[in-house]
Amino acid sequence: MNLQEYFSLVFSDYTLRTITLGTAILGAVTGMLGSFAVLRKQSLLGDAISHAALPGIALAFLITGAKDSNTLLIGALVSGLLGTFWIRGIISKTHLKSDTALGLILSLFFGFGMLLLTFIQKQPNANQAGLDKYLFGQAATLVESDVWLMAIITGICVLVMLLFWKEFKLLLFDADYTKTLGFNTKFIDILITTFIVLAIVLGLQTVGVVLMSAMLLAPAAAARQWTNSLSKMVLLAAIFGAFSGVFGTAISASQDNLSTGPVIVLVASVFVIFSFIFSPSRGLLFRQIRFIKNRSDLQLQKTLSFMYHIAETHENISHPHTIKILNNFQGFTRKSLQKLVDKNYVTIDGTMWSLTKEGFETAANLYNQNIKKDE
Amino acid sequence: MNSAQFEIQLIASLVAIACAIPGTFLVLRKMAMISDAISHSILPGIVVGFFITQDLNSPWLILLAALTGVITVALVERIQKTGLVKEDTAIGLVFPALFSIGVIMIAKNANDVHLDVDAVLLGELAFAPFDRLTIGGTDIGPKSLWVIGTILMVTVGLLIAFFKELKVSTFDPGLSASLGFSPLIIHYGLMTVSSVTTVGAFDAVGAILVVALMIAPAACAYLLTTDLKKMLGLAVLFGVFSAISGYWLAHWIDASIAGSITTMLGVVFLFIYLFAPSKGLIAVIYRDKQQRIEVSLLTFLLHLKNHTEERERHVNHLCEHINWQKVRSQTVLDLALKNNMIHINKNIVTLTEKGDDFTSQAIDYIITNEDAQIEDMKDDFFLFRG
Repeated sequence: MNLQEYFSLVFSDYTLRTITLGTAILGAVTGMLGSFAVLRKQSLLGDAISHAALPGIALAFLITGAKDSNTLLIGALVSGLLGTFWIRGIISKTHLKSDTALGLILSLFFGFGMLLLTFIQKQPNANQAGLDKYLFGQAATLVESDVWLMAIITGICVLVMLLFWKEFKLLLFDADYTKTLGFNTKFIDILITTFIVLAIVLGLQTVGVVLMSAMLLAPAAAARQWTNSLSKMVLLAAIFGAFSGVFGTAISASQDNLSTGPVIVLVASVFVIFSFIFSPSRGLLFRQIRFIKNRSDLQLQKTLSFMYHIAETHENISHPHTIKILNNFQGFTRKSLQKLVDKNYVTIDGTMWSLTKEGFETAANLYNQNIKKDE
Repeated sequence: MNSAQFEIQLIASLVAIACAIPGTFLVLRKMAMISDAISHSILPGIVVGFFITQDLNSPWLILLAALTGVITVALVERIQKTGLVKEDTAIGLVFPALFSIGVIMIAKNANDVHLDVDAVLLGELAFAPFDRLTIGGTDIGPKSLWVIGTILMVTVGLLIAFFKELKVSTFDPGLSASLGFSPLIIHYGLMTVSSVTTVGAFDAVGAILVVALMIAPAACAYLLTTDLKKMLGLAVLFGVFSAISGYWLAHWIDASIAGSITTMLGVVFLFIYLFAPSKGLIAVIYRDKQQRIEVSLLTFLLHLKNHTEERERHVNHLCEHINWQKVRSQTVLDLALKNNMIHINKNIVTLTEKGDDFTSQAIDYIITNEDAQIEDMKDDFFLFRG
């Protein structure tokens, strides 16, 4: 199946439609909530939470014996939340730093989860297969009810976000101020964190424990480059996330042997790289262009002011001088002289140049401005 | 215990020691999450190395994969330097991307690669003794034992040779730079050692357990001591203890060895997190409570010294005037009585000579802005702490 076939089949084929819709919704909700994680400098929390969810899945299976994804997700949610609050406990109550706390919870929970998974595998019970899909995710196992669940939770997320928009925004940018205004910061904080955990847990089945953190970060990091407004960033991140989901699914469906999770992550990474380079205000490309432009502007101005100093000594400002004297001045080139002519600051007559009236005035102003800046 | 069992435990212990040494420095330098990033992003390096060498234990594969680890670190720093995103976001972006590339590379070549992602993430220690190294026809032990043994020797050699430099640059980067130790070389040296250790250990214990073995023992040791040498020693001790007890746990419940070693590390950490003297959770909570009561006591004594009229010094008055609950007032009164700071006569509280002395000194410290001195003074005056 190639990409074209995929897009013609996506509306008619049940499996493809379900998977595409599922990954799109997932991308949108993780992108949205990921914006908060990135801005709160909790980017790696997502990584820790997704790993910490694993023992919850295994325990839920051990206790209920059910492989129904909703039950397992509740287990994942509980253990993800437990991990998150333990991380907080470690940071606030002991001397250990946040990176150590994250790494600890991540690896210890994951290891315990693996212990449980291998323990389950050796149980004399044929029902256990398929739990390891949570490691790397299998979008192909999504069914309509899973997509409905995602849609409902996304709806709740959007609703809560709109309801608490002001509080979220305040807490994000000025936590102390929020507290002095009388908001219950602890409650808002727990609310945001809970929703981040929820979004991660939702994606485990599709993208898997190991790569889930990228789903949270990449769309948000890409969106951050295009805007300075929170609402636009959240919206953009949701769009980027949804597109990563759709494109990732399309690419992995059109090739053999490609699991969806890694492809979605790579597509999201491409979004990030593109944004890093081509964003108009922060992007590396335009930053470099601006840098070069500023430098050539500065050189032009320096040349002009050098000419001005020479012209100043004569009564007639348009008195011609030879181009040779300019050679004493560093930064002068034939090109910059031509540019000055184009701007109508200078006229050239053979090997002689002279300032125009406009050029003289600009240069004089330049000089004044420089003095002002020095003061 | 047969020889295979002994060999597994020996390999696990050597891995634990080899991880604990760089792990200690990573924890102290606040770079613990870098180890997580390295452990994931070596995957493409391992895959490419495996295509070339066709041998998971080849030294070239280890070096190639370790190089990917160092590249990850460099890439993270490069992205961070652009100022577009923060450091943690940079880490979180780089390693999933590299890991995805690795996973896809394995998936696309599934037919000719005997390597699966689960094995990279989890390792299989139980099979390690079956892959023997033979020289000239004689069996000289499991391959992974030699690999990790060599890495450990190099790590220990480097640690001894550069201990002073590592110590200075970890605790005072500015001083070490001014003394002429290049921070860049030390940083990348440490990163290289971490990468090599991660690669050398992953095939025995898996990428995630490497992270656990690096961070958890060091974190436990950090809660127990403030001396670098002791911390290294304790971290090694905890690592080896968890490795051996984890092996027997796995043996007992018949589960993954890597998983049970991590679980043992978790149990050890939980125990130390709760019970560590002075830095553990219980000690911290107890000290918070003690200090709260002692501050209340000081407030109370200052109140007594300020007021001579009997109405202000009546026991019942405490509740309303300083706005304390009954239980708290009682605790503070009891503590003051036990320490002979006050005496109560017909429900009227008066400072004793000792209490008066204590309060005057405390006031002196407070008005000269040396509040911290009060802590030392408490040792001289208090028979019983709060």
